[in-house]
Amino acid sequence: MKDLVHLFELEDLLQEANNELVRKAKEDGKRILGYTCYFMPEVLLDLPGCCGVRLRAPRSSSPDMATYYMSNRTCMYGRCLLERALEGGYNFLDAQMATETCTVTCRFQEHLQLMDIIRNPDFFCEFTDVPFKKNDNSIDHFEKQLRAHVLEPLKERFGIDTSDEAMRSAIEAHNEICRLITEIGSYRKLAEPTITGTEFSIIQLASLTCPKYLIVDKLRDIAEQLRTRKPDEKKTYRCKVVLSGSEEDDPNFVKLIEECGALVVADRHCYGSIPGREEIEIRAGETPLRAIARHYLETSMCPRFMDQHIMRERKEFLANVAKEYHADGIIVSQMKFCEYWSYERTIDTLILPRDYGIPVCSIEKEYVNNAVGQLRTRFQAFVESIELKQLTGKEAAK
Amino acid sequence: MKLSDLKPSALKATYRKLFVVEKSPSEKEKPKDLKKELRDFWYGKPHEERRLGDLYVENTGLYKHREWRGVKDTFYYFHMIWLYNYAHMVTDILKYGEGMQALPAFLKGTMRYRWMGQTYLTVMHWFDRGMEGMRGEALRASAWHYRGMTSETIRQFMRMFISDKKLSGGQEPELWKKNIAHNETVGGSIFYPWRDVLDDVPLEMIPYFVSVHVNNHTVLNYIDAAQSIGLPSDPCPMCQAEYGLFVLDDYPDYAPTMVTSNEACDGSVATSILQDWFLNRPLYAMPQPMRYDDPLVQEHCQKEIEGCWKFIEEQYGIPFDWEQYVKYARSFNKLTEFEWEKWDVAANTEYYPINGVAQALYRIYYSQDGDRPIWHEIDDHVRRIMNKTVKNKIITFPKTRHRAIAWSCAPLYYSNWCTWAYNCWGINCVINMDSLMFDQYLRTDTYEHALEDLAWMNEKAPMRAMAVGGHEHILSLWNYMERFHCDMVIMYDQLQCKGMQGIHGVFEDEFRKRDIHAIWIPHALPDKRTVSRKEIRQIINDYMTTVMREEPLDPTLVDFDDDASW
Amino acid sequence: MKKLWKFLGKVLRVLAIVYAILFAVFYFDLDGKFMYYIWEPMMVKRFDNMKRKDNTDMPYAKKDNVASKEYTQIP
Repeated sequence: MKDLVHLFELEDLLQEANNELVRKAKEDGKRILGYTCYFMPEVLLDLPGCCGVRLRAPRSSSPDMATYYMSNRTCMYGRCLLERALEGGYNFLDAQMATETCTVTCRFQEHLQLMDIIRNPDFFCEFTDVPFKKNDNSIDHFEKQLRAHVLEPLKERFGIDTSDEAMRSAIEAHNEICRLITEIGSYRKLAEPTITGTEFSIIQLASLTCPKYLIVDKLRDIAEQLRTRKPDEKKTYRCKVVLSGSEEDDPNFVKLIEECGALVVADRHCYGSIPGREEIEIRAGETPLRAIARHYLETSMCPRFMDQHIMRERKEFLANVAKEYHADGIIVSQMKFCEYWSYERTIDTLILPRDYGIPVCSIEKEYVNNAVGQLRTRFQAFVESIELKQLTGKEAAK
Repeated sequence: MKLSDLKPSALKATYRKLFVVEKSPSEKEKPKDLKKELRDFWYGKPHEERRLGDLYVENTGLYKHREWRGVKDTFYYFHMIWLYNYAHMVTDILKYGEGMQALPAFLKGTMRYRWMGQTYLTVMHWFDRGMEGMRGEALRASAWHYRGMTSETIRQFMRMFISDKKLSGGQEPELWKKNIAHNETVGGSIFYPWRDVLDDVPLEMIPYFVSVHVNNHTVLNYIDAAQSIGLPSDPCPMCQAEYGLFVLDDYPDYAPTMVTSNEACDGSVATSILQDWFLNRPLYAMPQPMRYDDPLVQEHCQKEIEGCWKFIEEQYGIPFDWEQYVKYARSFNKLTEFEWEKWDVAANTEYYPINGVAQALYRIYYSQDGDRPIWHEIDDHVRRIMNKTVKNKIITFPKTRHRAIAWSCAPLYYSNWCTWAYNCWGINCVINMDSLMFDQYLRTDTYEHALEDLAWMNEKAPMRAMAVGGHEHILSLWNYMERFHCDMVIMYDQLQCKGMQGIHGVFEDEFRKRDIHAIWIPHALPDKRTVSRKEIRQIINDYMTTVMREEPLDPTLVDFDDDASW
Repeated sequence: MKKLWKFLGKVLRVLAIVYAILFAVFYFDLDGKFMYYIWEPMMVKRFDNMKRKDNTDMPYAKKDNVASKEYTQIP
């Protein structure tokens, strides 16, 4: 396929957290607000006068200093973030909008509070409590939390306009990004997808880590190009898969899967777009903040949710994603030491093939991906098993 | 048994191995001193001469013979601990088993469930390990705590057995519909409004938590089973064991519903996913907020508790009973008041008569379980003993060199390490982190106050109060050290606890900055294969000899093998 | 009367013997040794060989909400 416009530029922007566009936004007088989790509504961090940056630690190697603070038995994502912070890589942050949604990222953010790491006199780190259930009580709670721990500090410390009008305009801008990403992602549903998983992953990550007002034009161009982009004449993949699981912000990992012959057609993982890029709808009678609180609880598919019917629906949701995107299998990937996903992966691996007939490749990986050889073997074997299954199916049909 | 085992030489060797305490060369050379021997017989040997390590049968933790503690204490132990508790292990089964069905239900349960069959009869050895080397009032008060826990354990498993579908050929026993199963981390206080008509029994408390303390062999099966279906080995082994029970189908089916919560950590939340699958019955999740200091989270938490109450009302058709709640909450407050009294004595005097392990286990057990008659009975006994020690200024742990506070969660397979540490090094573990949770009085003047306090109390549940909601909670160690006048920290290093691992370095920095003696004890909660008891002792030994430059009080306890013990 | 004393004497003797046996069991940790070398291996064998249901066969169907809507769903 023809190269996608802006893709190399976006890929370049992913090489560091304090990238060129973040620096540009800072020059424009924007406050830069870090966050790590989907439960921190990015739309609120993109209110006029500030920009949200979902933290990554690209090009990390061995997080030695962070390992002293967090030991080598915690999720490497959290450790790499702390290492980058200790190296001074996040000094551009004006605030960290934190959530205690998984233990290790929480501890990372607590270190920011405790150790005076960020060299910025204005810097502060504020925690929001996130509920574990999807009900009315949870929305009330989340709404209150967002008001007290996001809007009020932003207003008090940085003079950000947090009025309903400002939120409405932020929602509008956010929805445009969502519409564009959803459109771009929708080409993965085609019988012959016109965008690869790696390309999509770069675009989606850029939308999370760059000021949105500075990349929206690029996304428009990409969407425009995709409307007429033609797939390769000769199929370059052997099967299609959904990538599901815990934190994943490395396009090279997606590339690795695709090099093994499996086209990644859907990204249902932290930092992915399913869910993540649904438009926020303000229902009749709802305030914008209420709509935001409801939206993030309603759309999230995090294994942190505990209602019985929600725990069970998650499996069906994943199966439906596979169906919708015509995937032949699912790769469930878990960051080593992520407790939520170690359990969710276990049950997904057992239930999805049994109840939905979808083959699952279940893997555990590190944030800094050193085990490329082993993973390659696993993915190649998975692709072969899917092909074999398809062949057997065809023969049986004859 | 092989024929060669019956040879006289082999029999003699077995006899020596199991029964003969070898004297040390220096003891052999000592001239006989009849007066001293009589004194030792009557009063027991002085601490430094006890040589408790010589009493062990190698590798097993068994005793060649139980310790001679002097006439008074040996016979107290024999009558009031050993005989008394064995007898009550029978009578309690009859008492709690609701009549004639008790004995068959007990026998069926023993033969059906590994955690029961392998563990129950070894209970007295659990007493022995916890009470090693103890004398006088400390022995008595600590043993009463153990008695309370044993009795409540019997009450719980008998309730499970007489209601268990699996032991009744798949039929629903009458009581099945009158039980609420809940995760062991959900506090019993939540169910006070129904205590007189329904029984709330934590699902994993006996099969997993209590059984590990008594006999740590069984839990390894559950951990292995958890991993056998694909779970990696790094998540909290407590959670692994909790759902390993289900993989091995080794849980009693005694209730139509389940209540679960997010206490204490990510692992607990995730465990609910798998437990829900295996239980496959109505499950109510009652999460507590993480940032519990925030006044804004309280209403949400209270509503979730009310949601749980509504769930019970709907599932069982029995309305919420405010009077019952008030009755049990007030009664529980009496236990809390006595706990504060105990803390006061422990913090400010040398007369506190409860050893570290009894204090820790009893506190976590009764406060998690909620109000039950046995706890009041035990507190009465202990109150009498403590009043005596305070009034008569009896120094209960006279060989104390260091007053230690234990922080974070303890190794379940070696919760009696503090008995060893006192006997060997004079380290007296005065208080531990999990004892300090549930530190809350329950108001009952209005429904609103009651709900407010209940929510607040459950937010401060075990392993959670200090571990979540901000680093300031876990770093409250310094305040507690001061309050309990401690000069040493035993820092439990649960290798699979992400929350504690995630703040490891900050503690290291603070210990150095504050010049505090801290000994890190790595462990894996119930799994002794990761770090053995011997390794734990070696870490303490090394610290005491190299950093503290101290000599052991009892050198035979420095190095011995007990890898295969219960 | 003599018979009664004799009987009481016998009872006392029996009680003394029982007491001595119990004390011996206690002092030499015979209860522990019995559990460790005989009872537990027997139980381990029993539980290792026990046929167990494969709980991973348990269905995983979707469930209705378990409590009132107010506590379980977003309106």
